[in-house]
Amino acid sequence: MIITKQKDPNSILETISKYKSFFLIGCSECASLCGTGNEDALKDMAGFLKSNGKEVTGMMVPKTGCQTLGTKIELKKDKDACEAADAIIVMSCGAGTQSATEIFKDKPVYPANDSLFLGNMTRFQMFDERCSLCGECIIGKTAGICPITNCPKGLLVGPCGGMSDGKCEVSPDTPCAWVRIYERQKALGNLEEMKEVIEPKDWSKGQKPGTLATRKDKKELTE
Amino acid sequence: MSFKEALESGKFVVTAEVGPPKGTDISEMLHHIDLLKGKIDAANVTDNQSAVMRINSLSVCKIAMDKGLEPILQMTCRDRNRIGLQSDLLGASILGIHNVLCMTGDHVSAGDHKEAKPVYDIESVQLLRIVDSLNRGKDMMGSDLKGSTKFFQGAVVTPEANPIEPQLMKFEKKVNAGANFFQTQAIYDIEKFRTFMAHARKFPVKVLAGFVVLKSSGMANFLNKFVPGINVPQDLIDELKAAGKEKALDTGLNITARHIKQLNEEKICDGVHIMAIGMEDKVPIIMERAGLL
Ligand code: SF4
Ligand code: SF4
Repeated sequence: MIITKQKDPNSILETISKYKSFFLIGCSECASLCGTGNEDALKDMAGFLKSNGKEVTGMMVPKTGCQTLGTKIELKKDKDACEAADAIIVMSCGAGTQSATEIFKDKPVYPANDSLFLGNMTRFQMFDERCSLCGECIIGKTAGICPITNCPKGLLVGPCGGMSDGKCEVSPDTPCAWVRIYERQKALGNLEEMKEVIEPKDWSKGQKPGTLATRKDKKELTE
Repeated sequence: MSFKEALESGKFVVTAEVGPPKGTDISEMLHHIDLLKGKIDAANVTDNQSAVMRINSLSVCKIAMDKGLEPILQMTCRDRNRIGLQSDLLGASILGIHNVLCMTGDHVSAGDHKEAKPVYDIESVQLLRIVDSLNRGKDMMGSDLKGSTKFFQGAVVTPEANPIEPQLMKFEKKVNAGANFFQTQAIYDIEKFRTFMAHARKFPVKVLAGFVVLKSSGMANFLNKFVPGINVPQDLIDELKAAGKEKALDTGLNITARHIKQLNEEKICDGVHIMAIGMEDKVPIIMERAGLL
């Protein structure tokens, strides 16, 4: 899921200083699990804005904020509240925020959250990054552990000289990704695999902005 | 005799470091170059060492070469992508710089521009392969070059990494990728280093043992605690302590010289790499005490 963290509320106030009234949009998926876009988070934000002299015309938690069409349909019932607002504040990830940008053609849209990474929830509201969506997955060669994400240097050919007692040069509390790969390959009896020099990454596979159409008629449309 | 010829002749070679400064006043660096030339076989010119922004390695290599000190171009993968690295390698080649040391490079978080985007588009082993390819007249995509390079390429290894196995696997990958010589992380325990060399000797590469002079027992403790792959044994720490404040540095120089002498006499490795870190004037003293001058 997409891991988000709420911005410093005062920095939000600063960016929206021009405007008086706001409609708030959350998200019931990732941002709710992160506690940044659920009903409670929206209510807290509304309270904060009001205590700072702002108005809140309404709020809504769409099912999936990054699903642009669905969110647009869900927002229909809040048409008046949206129209009454000077600007929209979105409390989801950057993708959900840009759904709003697309939906509200003539209203400014502001993010309340910082989008951090694609994360695994290891315990309740504890998240770790494991995959950077690089465009071509290579962890079939690295014991199922992603060095592009787990190694701060994204190295593909083994530990760097900064590894110390199995820990990472960059964050000494974290195990070195390549020591983890080594240990797992050894435990699996696949150490031979670690002798392969993985080719330099083909970054063109992850070129931005990514686009994909799996729907058949759309595929034909774009061809 | 060039650095490459010296290594191939079987001479016990000595390399040291030239550290480019931050800023355009290079007078002190030029003085260091003068101190080292004619005494050592070649000098590494560091590449934004510890991720601290300084003059680039390439320009200083050219200056060292013009002053008569053979340079080894250090190249890290932290600041340039594959296009930038290859382009700088071609540039080095036309300037007559033919020794290159391929490294991954300390992370930007260690340096003075912590907000920088670290590159690591490729890394040390892949960089060695690229150098090998340029030497064969092709870029890394396999396209023909108009004129090939003739690099003598080296790499680094940490003989006391813990755990050691993944480090040794990477060492072997570097050998297979075309590394001709290795410079090691600083070593302080000759017996442990001997064990590493027994392994390294299975491969057709030259190994220069790394040295960082211990200035005090405090420094030794600091290295043990904070620098990956460095283990200063207790007896050396005791020796420095016993020497007292006044004589600590001199004792540190003696320890380095004694170790270098032993490596040379017992032919444990092919040479040494002395990282003076600001004490370039001490390099000739160490060499003298080690019987190399
Ligand atoms: S290799 Fe790429 S796709 Fe696979 S886990 Fe790592 S970042 Fe994600
Ligand atoms: S210590 Fe390991 S995880 Fe950390 S940067 Fe080096 S190779 Fe990557």
